[in-house]
Amino acid sequence: MASDVVALARLALDAASLRQQAIAHNIANANTPGYVPLGVNFEQQLAFARGASGGSVPASVKPFIEPDTSGTTRVALDMEMVKLTQNTVHYQSLLKALDKRGSIIATAVNEGRR
Amino acid sequence: MDLFNAFAISASGMSVEKTRLDVTALNIANAHSTRARDGSGFQPLQVISAARQARAFQAAFGAAGLPGGAEVVEVRTSPAPPRLVHEPNHPDADARGFVAYPGINPVREMVTLISALRAYEANVAALNAAKTMALRALDLGSNR
Repeated sequence: MASDVVALARLALDAASLRQQAIAHNIANANTPGYVPLGVNFEQQLAFARGASGGSVPASVKPFIEPDTSGTTRVALDMEMVKLTQNTVHYQSLLKALDKRGSIIATAVNEGRR
Repeated sequence: MDLFNAFAISASGMSVEKTRLDVTALNIANAHSTRARDGSGFQPLQVISAARQARAFQAAFGAAGLPGGAEVVEVRTSPAPPRLVHEPNHPDADARGFVAYPGINPVREMVTLISALRAYEANVAALNAAKTMALRALDLGSNR
């Protein structure tokens, strides 16, 4: 049984939770002069690690917060709101996926009965 | 839980923008004040804010550390020169008949007001998003 799915979902949930903090931090500092927006480094790490290990998720992948490297030196409030919405939906869909996986296991435990 | 830090971050941002709103309101309210409490002229105030870094777990979360929100570093008097108006009958007029009104730029104050208001609203939106996420996480596995 692929417990990889749960591990991956948990990592992605951690990343989304961290990203929520980064976005909240950017919004909180929307009027701070000289502030460099923060982002979360996760997807690149994951893609790199999965490419190297051939599909499975190595334990070394860990989302962390870093300054946004896209070259923006000012917080764009509208873009942060877009990212916020996107992140919330992403987080909820991850939870939904985990929930459905739980349902599948529950079905197996109940021998197919509801 | 991680998301509680997001609540704290949004709260700190709201607090900073609230201070900015207060100070802007104070400046506008005193646009025509010729005396402060101590007898000198009223000086316009400005809020200096900065990003705050949470110390805990800093090493564990990479170089940037766990974000700690925003904070007001200081509320200082702005060095704007006073606006001189010729009113010889005013009790605060100087020897040449000029009254020194605070150097408050109403346009700039209004722009600060609007941007602080919008930033406050954005903080509230971020807080609500964190709340939705946390509540959904609590729902996990409840539909069975």
